[in-house]
Amino acid sequence: MKKIFSFAVCILAAAVLVGCGGEKTTLKVYNAGEYIDTTLLSDFENENNCNVVYETFDSNESMYTKVMSGEKYDIIIPSDYMIERLAKEGFLQEIDKNKISNYGEITDNLLSQPFDAENKYSVPYFWGSVGILYDSTKVSEEDLEDGWEILKNLKYKEDIYMYDSERDSFMIALKALGFSLNTHDKAELDKAYEWLIEQKEIVNPIYVGDEVIDSMISGNMAMAIVYSGDAAYIMSENPDMRYFEPSQGTNLWIDGMVIMKDSENTDLAHKFIDFMTRPENAMVNSEMVGYSSPVKPVFEELKETVYSEIEAYVPRQNGDKDEFFRYQDAETKKYCAELWTKVKAQ
Amino acid sequence: MRYFKNLVKPYIAWTAVMIVIPIFMMLLYSITNSGNSLVNIQFTFENFKRFTEPVYLSVFIKSIKLGLITVVICLVLGYALAYIISQFKESTQGVLILLVTIPMWINMLLRTYAWISLLSDNGIINAFLDKLGIGPIKMMYTDFAVMIGQICDFLPFMIIPIHTSLSKMDKSYVEAAYDLGANPVQTFFKVVFKLSIPGVLNGIIMVFLLSISTFVIPKLLGGGQYVLIGNLIESQFVSVGDWNFGSALSIVLAGIILFAIKWMKKIDTGEN
Repeated sequence: MKKIFSFAVCILAAAVLVGCGGEKTTLKVYNAGEYIDTTLLSDFENENNCNVVYETFDSNESMYTKVMSGEKYDIIIPSDYMIERLAKEGFLQEIDKNKISNYGEITDNLLSQPFDAENKYSVPYFWGSVGILYDSTKVSEEDLEDGWEILKNLKYKEDIYMYDSERDSFMIALKALGFSLNTHDKAELDKAYEWLIEQKEIVNPIYVGDEVIDSMISGNMAMAIVYSGDAAYIMSENPDMRYFEPSQGTNLWIDGMVIMKDSENTDLAHKFIDFMTRPENAMVNSEMVGYSSPVKPVFEELKETVYSEIEAYVPRQNGDKDEFFRYQDAETKKYCAELWTKVKAQ
Repeated sequence: MRYFKNLVKPYIAWTAVMIVIPIFMMLLYSITNSGNSLVNIQFTFENFKRFTEPVYLSVFIKSIKLGLITVVICLVLGYALAYIISQFKESTQGVLILLVTIPMWINMLLRTYAWISLLSDNGIINAFLDKLGIGPIKMMYTDFAVMIGQICDFLPFMIIPIHTSLSKMDKSYVEAAYDLGANPVQTFFKVVFKLSIPGVLNGIIMVFLLSISTFVIPKLLGGGQYVLIGNLIESQFVSVGDWNFGSALSIVLAGIILFAIKWMKKIDTGEN
C-alpha cells in the first residue's frame, strides 16, 4: 500500500512539474558575444520562474540582418547607432521607465544622447570608447604620440590586430585623417579607404573579432584595436597591457537594452531591464566582463576598487574630438559597405 | 519496380521545396537590386558585372588556387593512407577507418580553434621550438595555417572513397599483373591506381567542393582580411547586408562547382 502511495505521489509531483514547465514563459535575449556574466541569466530565471533563451551576435550589422530576416526577440542589446536605426525603422517599443526601479541611478551623461534623445527606447547597458591596447614591453611610448598613425608604423609590421568591423575600421581612418566619423562626404570616405589600404600594404594587420581577447591575454601581438571594456578585461589578465585613446579623437559608444515591438512578454522584458540595472547585478556583470557600468554607484565603486589600476575602465569623457556614431543614410551605408568589402578582399 | 514509383513522389515534393525554390530565390536575388525586400523588383546584371572587378576576381582566383593545392596535398596523403589501410586484414581495416573518422565526430569549429592554440606566436608549437633554441616562427594568419587547417579537416573525405574502391578491388588483378611480368611500380600505376580512379575522383570532388566554399577556417586561421569566396559571400549576407551581390557570387560559385563535377565525371567515363 505504501509503495502504491509513494508511486502516486511521484506521478503527481511529475504532473505538477510538467504543468509548471508548460506555464513558464520564455524571454529571448540577443546580445553581443562575451558581454554578460551568464550566472545572472540563471538568477533571473530563478527569480521570475521563466526560461531565458540567450543568443549572441558578433556585430551590430549581423544582428540587424538576423532581425530583418524575421527572427523574433524580446530584448536586444545593440549599440547607439543601431538603436537609432531600429527605432527609426519601427522595430522598437517604448520602455516604461516606471518599471525600472533603479533608473534614477543611471549616469546622466549617458542619457538623452542624440541617438535616443528622449530616452524612449533604450536603457544603457554598458558604455565605453574604442582605443589601442598595446603591449608595453613591445611598444615604445614615443611612438604613441603619433596617435592612430602608429597603426601604420613599419616597426609593428604583422604585429597589429584590427577590429573586424566596418564602422570601427572606418572610424579609425577618418579620425586619423581629421574627419568626422559620421561623414557623408564620399571624398572623405574615399580617403579613409585609401588610408586603410595603405595600412594594409605597410603593416599587414590582421582583422579579428572576439578572439582578440584571448589572443592578447596570451600576448600574441603588440597592438590591438579594442573596446575599452575588453581592454579592461585583458589588462586585468595580462599586466603588461596598456590602453590608449589617441588625441585625434575616437568613438564613444553606449550599448543599450531595447524591447522589440513584437515582443509578447513586455512585462518580463521590463523585469529583465530592471534586473540588469539593479546595483548588485550591475556590479557582478561589470566586474566580470570589464565594461564600464552605466549605474553610477557601481561605476564609482569599481573604479576605486577592482579596476583602480586599470585605466581602460574609465573611458575619456570630455575629449572634444570624440564622437558617437549616428545613423547612416542608405546611400552612405551602401558606399561604405562596398569600400569595406574591398578593403578586406584586397 | 514500377510499384514503388509512387514512393518517389514525396521526395520530389521535398526536392522542390528544399532545393529548387531556394535556388530559384538565389537566382532572383542575383539579378535584382532591391535589397532584401522583393516588393518592387528591378532586374539588373549589375551584381554579375561587379564580380568582374579585379578585386573580386582575384579573390576567386586565390580560392581556386588554394582549393587545388588542398586537393593535391589531400590526394597524396589520403591515397597513401588509404592504400596502407587497404593492405591490412579486413577487421583491422574497420578499426583504422574508424580512427580516420573519429576527428570528424568533433565539431569542426573546435578543431580549428585547437589549431589556433597550436600555431599562434605564443602557442604550443612555438613554445616547443623555443626550448630547442629555434626562434618563434610566424604561422598564424598565413597561407600555411589556412592550408593545414583545411587539409586536416578534409582529409577523411579523400581517404574514405579511395579506401572503398581499393578494398573492393579484386586482388587477383594484382597477382595477374605480377604473373605477366609487371614490376611493383608498373602494377601500381597500371592496375591498382587505374582501378581506384572512381574513388579518387569522388575524393577530389568532395575535397574541392568543401575547400572552395569554406569560410570558417580562413576566417579563424587566416584572419578577417584573408578573404576567400566563402568569406566574401558570408560577409555580403551577414555583415554587409547586400544579399543581391551575395547571391550573384553564390551562383558563380555554384557554376564553378558544377563545371568541376561535370569535368570530373567526363574523365571518369573516359577512363572506363
